[in-house]
Amino acid sequence: MGTNLIWWSAIALETAVLCRGAKAALLRKYPFFYAYVASVLLIDLLRFSCYEFASSFYQAFYWHSELVTIVTSYAIVFEIFRGSLRHNPAVAGLAQTLLLVVFVLTGTYVASDLLHGGFVSLSRVTAELGRDLRYVEGALLLVMLWLFGRYRISFGRNLLGLAIGYSLLVGLDVINLAFLFLPGNEFSIGLRKSLPITYLITLSIWCASLWSSQPEPLPPAERAIDRDYALLGAKTRAALAHLSTRAGRTLWP
Amino acid sequence: MAVSGLIPIVLLGTLILIFSGRLLVQWSRRGQARVVTIEDYSQARAALDSVFVETAAIKRIFANEDTEFISQTGTGDVQRFFLKERKRLAIQWVRMTQKQVAHLMDLHLKLASYTYEPSPRSEVRLTVNYLCFILASNGLLILLWLFGPFKAVRIVAYSVRAAEYFSSEFSLRLERVDPVKLSSARQPRSV
Repeated sequence: MGTNLIWWSAIALETAVLCRGAKAALLRKYPFFYAYVASVLLIDLLRFSCYEFASSFYQAFYWHSELVTIVTSYAIVFEIFRGSLRHNPAVAGLAQTLLLVVFVLTGTYVASDLLHGGFVSLSRVTAELGRDLRYVEGALLLVMLWLFGRYRISFGRNLLGLAIGYSLLVGLDVINLAFLFLPGNEFSIGLRKSLPITYLITLSIWCASLWSSQPEPLPPAERAIDRDYALLGAKTRAALAHLSTRAGRTLWP
Repeated sequence: MAVSGLIPIVLLGTLILIFSGRLLVQWSRRGQARVVTIEDYSQARAALDSVFVETAAIKRIFANEDTEFISQTGTGDVQRFFLKERKRLAIQWVRMTQKQVAHLMDLHLKLASYTYEPSPRSEVRLTVNYLCFILASNGLLILLWLFGPFKAVRIVAYSVRAAEYFSSEFSLRLERVDPVKLSSARQPRSV
C-alpha cells in the first residue's frame, strides 16, 4: 500500500512537472531537463506494470532501467551548466576544463574498480555500472556547485530549484549507493527506504520552482565591467601586496 | 568495497549536500547583492587603502612607549583599562582589514567571472595569497586576544626576524656547498 502510494505520488508529480513546464513555456528553455523527466515518467510506468504483472522479472528490469535513469540524468548536469554560466564566459571555460579532468579521473577510477570486481552476473554488473556512473555524476556536480559558490554565480528561481532538487537527489543517492555495496549493509536498508521519499521531495521542489517562468538575473552592462582578466588580476594582486607591505610597516618599526 | 573506499564516496555525497545548501543561502541573500561594476571594485580598493590612512594612529595602538609610560605612572586599574582598550582597538583594526580584503576578493571573483580569458594559474596564486592573508591575520587575532597588542607584535616581529635569519643562513650554506665535492660523493662506490 505504502509502496503504491509513493509510486503514484511520483507519477503524479512527474506529470505535474511536465504539464506545468508545457503551460509556463519552460519546455523550450530547459529541454534536456524535461526530456529527463519524461523518460523517468515512462520508466516509472513500465516498472509499475512490471511489478504488477510480471513480478519475477522486476528485479532485473529495475537495475537495467536504473542504469538508463542515471545515464539520462546527466542531461540535468548539462542543463544546469548551460543555464547558469551563459553570462560568465570565464567560469564556463574554467568549468569545462575542470569537468573534463574530473570526468577522466573518476571515469578511470570507476573503470578500474569495475574491472577488478570481475563478472558475477549481468544484473550485478549493471547495478555496479549504474553506481559508478552516479559517482562520476556526483563528482561533476560537486565541481559545478563549488564554482557557483566561489564565483557567486546568480541564479533565477527556476534554475535554482532545478539545481537544489537535483543535488539533494544525487547527494543522498551517492551516500546510499556507497553503503548498499558494502558487505553487511544493514545501515543501507534504512537509507534505501528513505530514498523514494527523497525523490518525492526533489519532485516537489522541481514542481514548486518550475510552476511558472521566473526572470533570470540580468548580466551587468558592458561598460560597467572589465573583460580583461590580466588587468583585474594584476590590480587585486597589487592590492594584496600593498596591504602586506603597509601592515608590516605599521606593526613593526 | 572496503570501509576505506567508503569514506571518499560518503564525503562526496555530503559535500554535494553542503554546497547545495550554500547555494540556497547565497540565493536567499540576493536582495542584498546587486550587479557588481568596476566602479564598486575601485571603491573597495580605495576603502582597503583607507584602512592604513591613519598610519600614525594605528602605530600608536601598538606603541611600546605608551605602555611603558602607563606602567611607570598609572595605577593597576588604569593599566588594566589601558590594556583592555588597546586590545579592543587592535582587534577591531585587524577585523576591519579582514572585512575589507574579503569584500575586495568577493568583488574580484564576481568581476573575474565576466572576463573573457581567465588565467587559472593567476587565480590559484591569488587564492594562495588570500589564504596566507587569512591564516596570518587570524593568527595575529589569536595572539592579540591571548597576549594583548604589545606582546603579540613582539612575538610576530621575533618570528619574522627568526625566519629571515634562518632563510639567510640556509642561503649562505648553499653558496658554500662545493658542487665538485657533492658530485664525487654521489658517485657509486666501486666494489
